[in-house]
Amino acid sequence: MTQAAPPQQRLFIEDVREGTEIPPLTKHPTPVTLFRYSAVTWNAHRIHYDREYAQTEGHADVLVQGHLHGAYLVQMLMDWIGPRGLLKKFGWSNRRPGFAGDTLTCRGRVTRVYEARGEHLADCEIWEENQRGEVCAPGTATVALPSRG
Amino acid sequence: MTTPSLITDELRAQIGVEQETLLGEITLLDIQRYALTVGDLNPLYFDEAYAKQTPYGGIVAPPNYLTAVITWGVGPQEGELSRDGLGLRRNEQAEGNARRRMAGGQELEFHQPVRPGDVVRCLTRTESMEQREGRSGPFVLIITEQRYVNQRDELLVTCRQTAIMR
Repeated sequence: MTQAAPPQQRLFIEDVREGTEIPPLTKHPTPVTLFRYSAVTWNAHRIHYDREYAQTEGHADVLVQGHLHGAYLVQMLMDWIGPRGLLKKFGWSNRRPGFAGDTLTCRGRVTRVYEARGEHLADCEIWEENQRGEVCAPGTATVALPSRG
Repeated sequence: MTTPSLITDELRAQIGVEQETLLGEITLLDIQRYALTVGDLNPLYFDEAYAKQTPYGGIVAPPNYLTAVITWGVGPQEGELSRDGLGLRRNEQAEGNARRRMAGGQELEFHQPVRPGDVVRCLTRTESMEQREGRSGPFVLIITEQRYVNQRDELLVTCRQTAIMR
């Protein structure tokens, strides 16, 4: 069940600068993923589990929940910063629907590295795109990272 | 031609009103079911021995967990749900011409991690409602601010949320 990742920190503020790319994360949401995500978030909105209903709203198939786009971006960020990094701020917006069966890839890069209130911070632009390279969910994040120094 | 307003008096009355929602105790099972469903097997959410060796000091919830849950508490009975399954049948009239709702996105600030056993409440305030003209007709942007606090009144997460009604 759990990953074999060591609790030691892998990423330090010295490792990042403007333009540093965040390792991408690829996800394959299925109808089962969407059903279970609706269940754990107690979301009865029919566009996420009732294909016929989703089509009456003009969608090709059941839609990836807006929060699941967000969750994938958070997973990418948390994997990247490691257990000694901290996610301070995170925001995203749902621009284009994702559907069951899509391949969704989260990406990002560092836009600014700075210090504030004794913390080493990095601002990032992040986004999730589909298999056609269309951006579904752009966003931003601020992370705090430990220093080697 | 004037566009009819999608913002009814009932909707407008919600602006500025603060509501408190009790989320109750956040359990290890809640946290792990959520993370598993996302496919996020980060050991910070699953492995207590691992998490103890990190600055978190123990298992925590994914940072966006609290704000991802649509309904805390039992929610409405099936017969009370509106046709789209999201809202309440009795509010369909109040929501006037706007029939479709979409999650626009969130801006989150994380103050403290959420831990299993935390008893959480959420203070929600509707900040604004604004009608705009889109390519496929008018829509309303609803911005709400939520503050999640634990049993020690410590701030956990703040969230500015945009919902789109069209």
